[in-house]
Order: sequence, then structure tokens, then C-alpha cells
Amino acid sequence: MRVGVAPGRPALGDLAHTATPSWRRPAVVAGVGVIALAVSLLAGIAFGSVSIPLGDTVAILAHRLLGWPVAVTWPASSETIILELRLPRVLMAMFAGGGLAVAGATMQGVLRNPLADPYVLGTASGAALGASLAVLVPIQLGVLGLGLTQLLAFIGAVVAVALVWRLSRASRLGSLTGLLLTGYAVGSLLAAGLAMAMVLSGAQLRQIVFFLLGSLATATWQQVAVAAPLITVGVAVLAWRARALDALMLGDETAAHLGLAVARERVILLACAALVTAAAVATCGLIGFVGLVVPHMVRLVVGPAARPLLPLAAIFGAAFLALADLLARLPGELPVGIVTAVIGAPFFLLILRHVRTGYEL
Amino acid sequence: MDRSPLPTPSRSDRKGFSVSAVGLVVALVVGACAAGGSAAPVTSSPIPASSSTVAATPSPSPSPEATQPSFPLTITDDEGTSVTIPAQPQRIVSLTPATTEELFALGEGSRLVGDTDSDDYPVAAKSLPHVATFQGVIMEQLVAAQPDLVIAGGDGFTQPADVARIRALGIPVVVIYAATVPAVLTDLRLVGEVAGALPAAAAMTDAMQTRMDAISALAAAEPTHPSVFYEIGVGPDIYAPAQDSFVADMVTRAGGVPVTTGDPDSYTIALEKLVLADPQVIVLGDYDYGTTVADVLKRPGWEHLTAVVDGAVRPVDDTIVTRPGPRLADGLAALALAIDPALVLPADLLPAATPVPSPS
Repeated sequence: MRVGVAPGRPALGDLAHTATPSWRRPAVVAGVGVIALAVSLLAGIAFGSVSIPLGDTVAILAHRLLGWPVAVTWPASSETIILELRLPRVLMAMFAGGGLAVAGATMQGVLRNPLADPYVLGTASGAALGASLAVLVPIQLGVLGLGLTQLLAFIGAVVAVALVWRLSRASRLGSLTGLLLTGYAVGSLLAAGLAMAMVLSGAQLRQIVFFLLGSLATATWQQVAVAAPLITVGVAVLAWRARALDALMLGDETAAHLGLAVARERVILLACAALVTAAAVATCGLIGFVGLVVPHMVRLVVGPAARPLLPLAAIFGAAFLALADLLARLPGELPVGIVTAVIGAPFFLLILRHVRTGYEL
Repeated sequence: MDRSPLPTPSRSDRKGFSVSAVGLVVALVVGACAAGGSAAPVTSSPIPASSSTVAATPSPSPSPEATQPSFPLTITDDEGTSVTIPAQPQRIVSLTPATTEELFALGEGSRLVGDTDSDDYPVAAKSLPHVATFQGVIMEQLVAAQPDLVIAGGDGFTQPADVARIRALGIPVVVIYAATVPAVLTDLRLVGEVAGALPAAAAMTDAMQTRMDAISALAAAEPTHPSVFYEIGVGPDIYAPAQDSFVADMVTRAGGVPVTTGDPDSYTIALEKLVLADPQVIVLGDYDYGTTVADVLKRPGWEHLTAVVDGAVRPVDDTIVTRPGPRLADGLAALALAIDPALVLPADLLPAATPVPSPS
């Protein structure tokens, strides 16, 4: 890892002494992130394709969640929309967005590659293949409120990463190069399987396409109840292992000299990132951009150290996806991936232009 | 066209008799239909035969099914799901254009509170709140419409996840899917039943049955039955009716021999296979979506097809041919005329609503 205020590249130790503008301190940034998170939560509940009076929204929340004695003056449908549709949807967006951003930050660090995202080691194609097989198999199956699609997508993502990991160890290339190239090769193979499944799917093609586009429209409480704990545990372990991620970014040899069990830590980090990604992808489909760009946005502001990076990526990823999903559903139902890219890319370019810190992975 | 039969006697929707108001008794042997995707056109005696004829079993008395159902009503939908509708629905959301059309045709349009953005007929359907798009159901809008019954399309037309979600919210969902022409008539009755309008639906389907049988009989009586490629779409893959599919069934009933993909699950056909099948007639189901006869003539590899050489490339209004709704008899007549322009249909069998578009 090289950190620097160009052109010089101060050593890691110097970084602590570099004067940081107050707005760039992690605590301040975290405060901004929490406010953004709260705003996106409230806006996500208050607005949607159906307009419900703000007073009703507040009253419904107070009545049903806090148990306040409020006279029921709203139609039952408003209550269903707020509590059964919007609330799980916003929460799902937050868990998925936060999880994907942390998984992306981890992948970028472990692979020391700025273009890495949560999907780089085959999770995306594995999940997509799993989901498309579920569409082809005419079996109705439900476990814990999850359909066969979610179940097979999750299994597909986890199996794909495990396969990539296992195969890459047989390679004589350097471990990172081997891992990336194996991921690419396995991903291509799975993508071919996906294309085949799409050809065979006939009338069911639409379901596969919408899985590939990603959507939060189908989020239910049951899905939140299954995905949220998985994502929370994965993110917590990653945040707890932030020091290992920092050390790995210095290079395998340096990390080993620092006393890190390089191979073991790498497995733990990759496994957690894969778990988080699989949980998010299985419930929301393939949502791009969040996992790639949010970590870079955070790094550009607070620097690349993993300790502040991972929690901040979680907060901003959550707020970003919740807001993107809100914008996606206001005009009807746009695929959320379009919105994340359309608002995310220009914003990212703006940050690239105006932020003066530099870092290299 | 005789649209005024009495609530017609029929033991089941697939076998039975229709008594026209004029008093002409048309005996229908609809047994061929009952065999589920049977390819043979229905045998029947064309209208009008003689003043009074055959009356076989059963005697024409109102069948129990044609009476108004009582609620709570439990039915089994086309996916085999048992659905209970607690009371006569007053706020219905229709998620298929065919069901929307039917409810309007039955005079129940005022009970519709939502449909999809592809529902285009009748005009009133366009001004209903659209609670679903090609992408899927907009769940908030569906819930806001406060439906007490949702009628959805099967085989992935309405996404299964959406159906499960609506049911989880406690709203009854009836899923409709018909793979054959007889099944369409059964479904039209089923929709009438769950909407609490069974007598009207039974009258409508019996009239449709009579008309379609008559059209099929006239088409079957023609001296030749050309092989027909019903073009669903080209670009760049060639989309053709799957084997034993609904469209193939319609082509057969309209007097043609359908060129299909040869596979019940595939909707694409290789150009080589199409050349091998060498259709004598090409019916442009994609005419409404912008494909013209001139386009077909220009396609490389198509110039030696018999249909192209003979100039037997004819457009049809795809909506009425393939939409499993109340205009299906119009669709069959339009398709029969597109396959064989020399076919003479009596005025009451001609397509009523939309004329066959003229080639441009």
C-alpha cells in the first residue's frame, strides 16, 4: 500500500502525523454518514410510487411500531404499504448496500486491485447460474420464506468462490494473480452456463433478466430476517479483522514479516466477503456499482486504512443503495442498477476531480 | 354474428350444445376439443343447416355451473392452487390483458380497480390505474388499489414471486394459463365464475364455441390445407410457434398445417429448418410490431420459400389471434382468412372488431 499526498510518498508511520482537515476525520465522516442513513431511512419509508400523507406515515409507525394510542384514520392498505412493503425494502437495501460496499473494500484490499468488486471471484456468475437453474426447475420450494431462486443463488455464489479458491491453489502463479485469473476463468464458464440456461428458459427468460438487473422490489421481512444476520456477522468479522487487511495490503512478504498468517487471514477475509456478497445477491439480484465505487469514495476522503474504511463503507453503502432504490421506485419501478450507476458515476467523477488525497492499492 | 344465446345448457364447458336465439339448433360434437391439445379441428355442422335438427344428450336445461356461484367460493386455479374467495369480489385487479378484456365484455368493467400497462382494449382499460408493467407488479400500487381479488397470468406472465407476495399479503390470487383453445374457453368461464358473473361468461363462451366451431368447419371443408408459418417475430432469431402450442392450435383450427419449432419448449426455429419446411403461407403475426410484407421479401435466404414465391405473405392482427380473451373467435376468423383469402365466411362469422390490416 502506498499512501501519499503527491508527489512524495510518506511511509505509513508519517500518515498519523499528517495534518488532516477536520471534515476528513473518520468520526466526522461517520457522523455525516449516520445522518445520511437516517435521512434515507425516513425518506425511503415516507415516499414511494403511491403517495401516503406524511401524517399517516408517522401515525402508522407510532401506532404499530411504538404502540402509541393513535386513532386509526388511514386505510388498511397504507399500513400494508408502509410496514410490509417499504420498511423491509429499505432495510434490505441498507443491509445489501452496506454489505456489498464492505465486501468490495475487502476484495480490493485482499487482491490489491482497485477494479476488484464483490463479484470478482465468481459470486455473480455463480449466483446468476443458481437463480436461472431455479427458474428452469419447475419445483415450488420454500425454506424460511425464501424461494428456490434465492436458495440456489446463495449456494451458487458460495460454491463458485469455493471452487475458485480451490482451483487457484493448484496454480503456480503468484497467489493473487492465480486467484484473479482463476476467478475470471470460472466466471466465464459459469456465464456460459447462464447463457445456456437463458436460451432454454423460454417464457421464463424475463425472470432471469430481472435477477441480472437486480431489484429490491421483492424484499420481504422473511428475506431481511435471513439475509441481515448473515451480512451483519460477515461485516462484523471483516471489521474485526481490519488490521489483517491493512497488513495484506502491504504485500504478502511484508505482512508475513509483521507476523501475519497470510494464507489463513486471506481465507477468512475472502470467505466473509463471499458470504456477505452471496446473502446480498441471493435476495436482491446483481446490484452493481455499490461494491466497486463506495469503497473508493470513502478512501478518497479518509484514506485507505481499513479500520475506518470498513465501517464507513458499510454506512455509506447502506445510505447510497437505500437512496438509489428510492429514486428507482419513484417513477414506477426502474432496475436499481441503472440508478446506482447514473447517480453514482458522475458523483464519483466529481470526487475524483476535487479530492486532493491520493492512494494506491 | 349471434351474440344472444340464452345461458346455454352445457354439462361441461368443453362438451355440450348451444341453442341460438333464432331457434336454429346447431349440434356440436366438441369431443375433439376435450382431448386437450388435440390438433384436429372441431367437427361440426356449419350454420345454418336446417330449421330443426339433432338434439342429442343432454337435454337443454340450465346446467348447475351456469348459475351464479355462491361465496365463499373455493376453486382450483390453472397452477393447481386452491383459492378461496370469501365474498363476491367488488374490487378486482386484472394482471392479464385477456382478463381485463373479458371483465369489460361481461359488463363488469366497473369492478376493475387496476390492470397492467399493456392492457389496451377496450379503451377504458387504458385509463385504469396500471399496477403492473412488463417488469412486474408494482406492489405498492397494487396494495393501494385495495383489491379483494387479483387475477394473474400463469407460465411466468405474472412473475411467480409477485403472485406469492400478493398471496402473502392476504389477497386471493387466481392464476390463469391456457395452452390450448379449449382451455381458453374454460379459463374465460373460470374468470366469470370467480368474478361472480358465471351466467354471462357461460353465455359468452358458448357463443364463442359455436362461432369457432363453425369457422373451423368451413376452413376444414376447403379443398387444400396449406402449411403455414405463423411469424411471431424475426430479428435476428426466427420466432415460431412451439410444437403443440396455442398458436399452432389456432393455425390448425383455421385450416392450416402449422410449421412449428418441433419442440414444445422452444420458440425459435433455424432458418434451415424453415426452408426445409417450406411453408406455403406466411402469416405475419409481427405486422402490428412493424414487420411489413416487403421486409419479408427482402430477407436473404427467404426468396425461394414457396410462400414468398407465390406472394402468400399476409398480415394478421396478432392481438386477437393470440390473446386468450373474448375476441378469440374474431382472431380465428381473421387467421382463417389470412391463411386462405378465398375462404367465404358468413357475415356472422367474420371478425367483428378489427379488420385485417392491409399490407403496406
